[in-house]
Amino acid sequence: MRSRRPFLWLLDKECRELLVSRAWWVLLFLMGPLVGVSFIGAVRTYAEVSGLNGTAGGVGEALSPLTGVWAPAFSACELAAVFLLPFVAIRLISGDRLSGALKLEMQQGMSPFARMAAKALVLLAGWLVAMLPPLSAIPLWKSYGGSVYPPELLTLAAGHVLNAGLTIGLAAAMAAIAEHPSTAAIMTLGVTVGTWILNFFGAIQGGWWERAAGYTPAALVAEFQHGLWRLDTTLVALVLTLAGLSMAAIWMRIGIAVRRRAVWSATIGLLAAAAIFACTFLTASWDASESRGNSFPEADERALREIHAPLSIEVHLAPEDPRRLDLEHHALSKLRRAMPRLTVRYVFATSIGLFEQTAAGYGEIWYDLAGRRTMSRATTAEGVLEAIYSLAGMPPPAEAAEAAFRGHPLAVPARGAGTLFYICWPGMVLAGGLLVRRRFQ
Amino acid sequence: MLFEVTGLSKRFGKIVALADVGFHVRAGELLGLIGPNGAGKSTLFECLAGVLPCDSGAVRAGGRTVDARGRRSLLFYVPDGIVPWPAQSVRWALDFTIGFLGGRASLREEVIEQLDLGPLLAQPAGTLSKGQRKRVLLGIGLLTAQPALLIDEPFEGLDLRQARDIAAAFRAHAARGRTLFLSIHQIADAARFCDRFVLLSAGRVCAEGTVPELARLAGANAADLEEVFLALT
Repeated sequence: MRSRRPFLWLLDKECRELLVSRAWWVLLFLMGPLVGVSFIGAVRTYAEVSGLNGTAGGVGEALSPLTGVWAPAFSACELAAVFLLPFVAIRLISGDRLSGALKLEMQQGMSPFARMAAKALVLLAGWLVAMLPPLSAIPLWKSYGGSVYPPELLTLAAGHVLNAGLTIGLAAAMAAIAEHPSTAAIMTLGVTVGTWILNFFGAIQGGWWERAAGYTPAALVAEFQHGLWRLDTTLVALVLTLAGLSMAAIWMRIGIAVRRRAVWSATIGLLAAAAIFACTFLTASWDASESRGNSFPEADERALREIHAPLSIEVHLAPEDPRRLDLEHHALSKLRRAMPRLTVRYVFATSIGLFEQTAAGYGEIWYDLAGRRTMSRATTAEGVLEAIYSLAGMPPPAEAAEAAFRGHPLAVPARGAGTLFYICWPGMVLAGGLLVRRRFQ
Repeated sequence: MLFEVTGLSKRFGKIVALADVGFHVRAGELLGLIGPNGAGKSTLFECLAGVLPCDSGAVRAGGRTVDARGRRSLLFYVPDGIVPWPAQSVRWALDFTIGFLGGRASLREEVIEQLDLGPLLAQPAGTLSKGQRKRVLLGIGLLTAQPALLIDEPFEGLDLRQARDIAAAFRAHAARGRTLFLSIHQIADAARFCDRFVLLSAGRVCAEGTVPELARLAGANAADLEEVFLALT
């Protein structure tokens, strides 16, 4: 018998439990077809806008593989993280309680946090294996002659790992709190649906709801899909994951009175809330996309950095007004990154703005820079920059033509992708599952 | 004396499962915890092992109260009716007991032989019969290193021959100084295999001692544990 540290024995046990988990094999099996559908569809659309089959060549001149191919291909991970991964996590956490192994293992005296860490590490490793299909699409795309920009791919993959971490933390907490796995599954899905409702509510209500909605898993993934790596969302995701795992560790201490566990959980919740609140003040972010889709042109960013006075913007647009979405996505989100001291205030009376159109001042965007004010109705990046430069009394910088992203059009069909994702990957998973089944029986 | 339990109480809502339970446990003895179904035997073991929170009470050893960490090095509890790591082989479960739970590797072969686990080593625990699972659980317990081993219903699901063999194995381990504290609801079994007894009824300890000591307490002449039990509970 090998001599190992108890933690390594625990890792060994959790790996074995994951290997015999049907939920994990189902997750692996389904990842192939899920990625296949999205990758093949994305490559076809990319090819069509790049001029395939007689479509107007050059339409996709500035087309980026990140938004055109990788975001859709990796979206299978988002789907799996919501609907499949929770069951894998719940099975691994609840299994010990259901079989009675927990009563034996907890007598070892190892910290419950260490025991939960072993489970989380194994689940994360299991998730990385499940990410092999979208990752295997990268060499496939390269074989077509496609362009690959590693920083944006790394950012996208990191976003899905963080999202999986959130799912694992949530499912672990629910599995530890609930007596039965089915209850835990319902609770986990309930929280996920709750975040969707928060997104919906944020879009309608704006304000704090909108800010909170910016930290939901869906919003987190959306940012990483655009190649944007924000420090605050990353840290919030890590805090939530750790809070979930800590709560799971606390509720797995079945030898402690429920009231004490509830008090500890509340403490963890308060600490997590304080940490999240602190994280929201962090403004650092990195635009890892090759197209710099989350940033103004470099010349504009340099010019904006020269403006040291605080800028405040008052926007008279309702949350559901499409102009507000344009303004937010094409200008303000980029402006926040370039000018961290920016404050934006939305003024609105209704959520859709339909009946505010005739109201005086609706649609106006007021800019205030060190007491100087100007108004504009433009919601494009160019319009916003123009207003700021005029307030600052500086000329707009000259456009640097060579720095503009020209895109990577590629008009090829997704050769071999169907074989890889619909036949090879499911076949390998089936063979692996059968081998493991034989090994354990 | 290995340790003593004092003032142990446990309630489930309005139901009193254990009320001011106290008794002594000696080193190297086979101590039987006997009582009817629902007397609180499993609850008592779970509270002692720390897998269930108790409302009050203490374990004392050497004149000092033993904290939770001390209890983990003092005693190990084997629950009844569990199937730990059902997909893993019996061999792995025993190795895991030694590697993770700090069991004694030197006892591995002896325990396998005593409990006749050899033919089961390659089988996943979840595919075993009730009696086989019980033997594996007992093997896990006997491999652990704590001086006191608490086993809930050790003879449940075993036939007479197996029960005798296992009792002999318990006796061999007790002879080396290990204390085996066995919760048994079949009083005839307890009378056959144990040295001393703790009588539990409705969450209270009615008496503790050897059969003659209990008989004296009960005022009965016959040294029959069943009659003594009926008289005292």
